Amino acid sequence: MVYLVAAAQQDDLARVREEKPELWRHVRRYNKPVQLALAAADEVMRFANDPSTAAVISLAPCQPGSADLYSWGHVVTSGMASGTLGNLRMNPTQTLHAVDNLAMSAFAIANRNHAYCLGLGGAAGQAWCGIEAVLERLDSGLEEEALLMAGDQDAAEDDSRGLGVALLFSTRAKPFQPSNRIVRLVSVSRSPAIVDVVPHAANGLTALLSSIANGVVSYVVPPAHTDGFSTVTITLEIS
Amino acid sequence: MSDKRRVVITGTGALSALGASTRELWEGLLANRSGVRQVQRLVASGITVTTGGEVDAVSPENVERDHEIANRAIDDALAESKRDAAACGFIWSTGLDTFQMGVDGFVHRSAGRCFSNLASRFPGPRRMIAAACASGTQAVGEAFRLIQNDRVEACVAGGSSVMLTPFYLIGFAGLQAVAVDNGDDPSLACRPFDKKRKGFALADGAGAMVLETLESARERDATVLAEVVGFGVSQDAFDLNRPCDDGAGAELCMRRALADAELMVEQIDAVNAHATATYSGDLAEAAALRKLFANRWQDVPVSGSKGAIGHAMAAAGVLEAIVAAQTCATGIVPPTVNLHDVDEGCELDHVIGEPRDVNAETVLSVSFGMGGQNAAVILKRGLNG
Repeated sequence: MVYLVAAAQQDDLARVREEKPELWRHVRRYNKPVQLALAAADEVMRFANDPSTAAVISLAPCQPGSADLYSWGHVVTSGMASGTLGNLRMNPTQTLHAVDNLAMSAFAIANRNHAYCLGLGGAAGQAWCGIEAVLERLDSGLEEEALLMAGDQDAAEDDSRGLGVALLFSTRAKPFQPSNRIVRLVSVSRSPAIVDVVPHAANGLTALLSSIANGVVSYVVPPAHTDGFSTVTITLEIS
Repeated sequence: MSDKRRVVITGTGALSALGASTRELWEGLLANRSGVRQVQRLVASGITVTTGGEVDAVSPENVERDHEIANRAIDDALAESKRDAAACGFIWSTGLDTFQMGVDGFVHRSAGRCFSNLASRFPGPRRMIAAACASGTQAVGEAFRLIQNDRVEACVAGGSSVMLTPFYLIGFAGLQAVAVDNGDDPSLACRPFDKKRKGFALADGAGAMVLETLESARERDATVLAEVVGFGVSQDAFDLNRPCDDGAGAELCMRRALADAELMVEQIDAVNAHATATYSGDLAEAAALRKLFANRWQDVPVSGSKGAIGHAMAAAGVLEAIVAAQTCATGIVPPTVNLHDVDEGCELDHVIGEPRDVNAETVLSVSFGMGGQNAAVILKRGLNG
């Protein structure tokens, strides 16, 4: 049996900076999707039995990078055209903003987590692969807990809205935080369908959390949040 | 004896600096040849790193290059396997977004969009792996696990990268990971485990494997190249840019793969190493392998492919697993190209100068990603089924 035991969403980095200075020191050099994913993960791991042994499944942003990285990209490509790159140096922090597994690595370092990890890339609908992977790992008894986290932004080129989300699953039935009800994850099912998507790593999971808050036990993922090739239904038991 | 389904490899496709096929990759390695060279379009840009592993089969002018390189490898693997994409899952890494100069200026290519395009002809599961340099190996391992656990009968697994651009060359130079030009022969840029190593040569590439159940391979009378018998992952949880000195995270993922395969370490005949030629990476890897093999460390042949083809990032692990499968099939361990003088701390039973026929049947293939994600797969000769 697999239970959703905690979830958190984060979209306000100013608040993180103010209320959690220690966490902010740890995440400040990363880009927005990574900062928000880590802030959300920090919230839910308070409810974990052992953050160091949980499986970690992390969704890379569909809009990766940062405004800094994009402006750097313009400098490099225009310099390439004119043959003037010479000894140009890149700030290593900006290179990190391009890296797809950054949130997972940063989480592991902060929590001394050496456990199973799965980074899923920035393609549409990978969140549901993440939930499938949670079921596979926990149902097989390979781990007792699994973290699924994601961070993304509306556009990487500018300082647009970002959103981080984290879900903690366990093989032990515990009241779901924040609703205090028992939420069991039963299955993820798919059927073929070609639909238009809006790629975003975090939006789909926050919509799922809203439906759980409303007591929905058979959640049909809106087409825009799928991978574009399937209808996805998440089945839950809430008691 | 485990009741899990057995998983075999029935097709491969490889585009690398050594050519556009698995055969060219394997023959180049056996000939101890490096495909890394100076790339003229990088010279024109005036940057300090102009060597790399270029894939000639698809023009660098082609803005769909990321998609083309991947599709060629996938098609080759499916053709060799005689399988249809419509009957396969798809576990793949398209690496990182790329930024380059196009005809009309700045071009941003989304790795996620590239994955979705590639995935459109596969019914699923469709998973995009994002584990930096360990992505290709983890893709093979995750596909293995999905088939083994009866989620799907067959999968195409692997990865592709188009990163040989000034954007990433300058970026990785800033992280002191790539070998900058110093007037040497460009083909010597990447020297794994060697005293003169100074980083890797960045490369483009793609590698694909068709994995399926042994049962379906038999039913189809498909040629089995090798069997996948074990898979393990771990996280270093140490540092974003470098591994821990003793290679503890790397050792952990290899031990997990062995446990998964229900094999003793004594049953490993050869290793295809990650072997990036970075100073700290090679030291940590050698330390991990010595600890793993304990008193046998001088007797297990170790070979790395990046001296010959560079570091193709998301494709690296699967290209190396393809080499490992060739070793299983032939028993031959290729040499580590550009390794001449083993550095202190990097001591292992390195294969140097020429291939070694040791009748290797069981091969460990490993990848250690930037950021600390590690993945290992164990392949076994698949002749007897």
